[in-house]
Amino acid sequence: MSNAANGLESMWEELVGLCNAQFESAPFRRLLGVKFSQARAQHYSIQMAYYVQNRRDCWGYVQGSAPLDIKKIIWEHEEDELVGRKSEGKQDHITLAVKEGEVFGLTAEAFERTAHLEGGEVCFSAWIRLAQQPWLEAIAASAILEMRNSAELIRGGSLSARIGGLFERDLGIPMKKQINNAEHVVMDVEHAHLLMRVARQYATTESAREAILRGARASLLIDRVYRGHLADLVEALP
Amino acid sequence: MNMLDDLLRTLDQMVNDQFESVEFKTFLGVALTLERGRFYVIQNALYTSNRRDCWGYVQGGAPLEVKKVIWEHESDELVNDPRAGMDHYALTVKQGEVIGLKPEDFEKAEVPSMVRACFYAWHHVALRSHWLAAYAASHMLERRNNGKIVKGGGMSYRVGKKFENELGINLKRMISLDVHVVADTDHSENISEMFERYVKTSHDCELVLQGARDSMAIDRAYRGALGYYMEQIK
Repeated sequence: MSNAANGLESMWEELVGLCNAQFESAPFRRLLGVKFSQARAQHYSIQMAYYVQNRRDCWGYVQGSAPLDIKKIIWEHEEDELVGRKSEGKQDHITLAVKEGEVFGLTAEAFERTAHLEGGEVCFSAWIRLAQQPWLEAIAASAILEMRNSAELIRGGSLSARIGGLFERDLGIPMKKQINNAEHVVMDVEHAHLLMRVARQYATTESAREAILRGARASLLIDRVYRGHLADLVEALP
Repeated sequence: MNMLDDLLRTLDQMVNDQFESVEFKTFLGVALTLERGRFYVIQNALYTSNRRDCWGYVQGGAPLEVKKVIWEHESDELVNDPRAGMDHYALTVKQGEVIGLKPEDFEKAEVPSMVRACFYAWHHVALRSHWLAAYAASHMLERRNNGKIVKGGGMSYRVGKKFENELGINLKRMISLDVHVVADTDHSENISEMFERYVKTSHDCELVLQGARDSMAIDRAYRGALGYYMEQIK
């Protein structure tokens, strides 16, 4: 095996390790240790719709700075997220998040009028700043969040699967009725491979692989802070 | 006259005025030779790439509804334009065959210094402006190519006609220029609709105008630079 291939494999292993380590961090443990009431689920669900919107901001910026062939991959990725795979009758992920809200007793208006979590806004700005870094760092920062949500890569289940499990346990809402969570459990397995597709072509040097790791680490740091703010929010609710 | 009509009329005037500028007149006045034509076609491919950068940045900063409109717009540009059966970059490369260019000529092409400065300037506007200004900045380049708005034809049409008149290559064979004569009319109309949704105050108007002015200034510098470099090719 060549040095570059070795480097790629060890980078991938490190990325997967970093994603798994998120679930051992204090903020993730706190969030995943919450017992969800309906009010807590409602607010969590609304804030996650804002998170999805921030993802759309970031992927747009990454698309802007990436090479042309990678722009196309991102454009395809954004079809699922932004407009939905119409040929398969699938809706975009914001619509899914709002529709999923119905099972928690939320109306579409609740998503429009609920204030953004202050700490969340700070994290969103930080993610946007990362998305405007040199493109390899930027793409890693966005793609790592989907790796962290891949059931294939995360031992014990992805974040969407674990949150879905809590909603099922605490509120009796089966996973199949949580249409947004259920979609992400499937979709992010597929999306998680985006970064490796990019890396095989562009991470041919040590410095390129370092850029990817740097972007991924910075994004996971923000992710931990964000989950901590979400834990604060839901713990403060009855 | 309401505020939006007034704004759109101003934008129309601005894109028409481009063709009266010294930079546009110089560029469009340079006699085409085959070598100059090759240079132009390669540079046009690089310009198309820069547009993809900028629209991505604009998509990043825009509201969700506008992101979707841009995503649809980028379908033609980046993935596949049903008018051409390919994306617009591939279309430009394919067009190059007519004047003896190979794909490698595009791959190894360098961005001349004055052109590079313009590309960075467009990046700056797309990344650092308010989204309405950034959106207007990218939109204006398609409005400037819209033959329904620009008297005497948009830029692609005029350049296509130069290839026809000066090099004897029919506009229909210059497939990228030919597609853009139509595509940018559709694009500029679809994109312009968003102004109706989002321009509500005089401040919004000013943001659009600021983006439009900035982009048109860069566009003049860009065309002036192309004219300069083409004249150096003897």
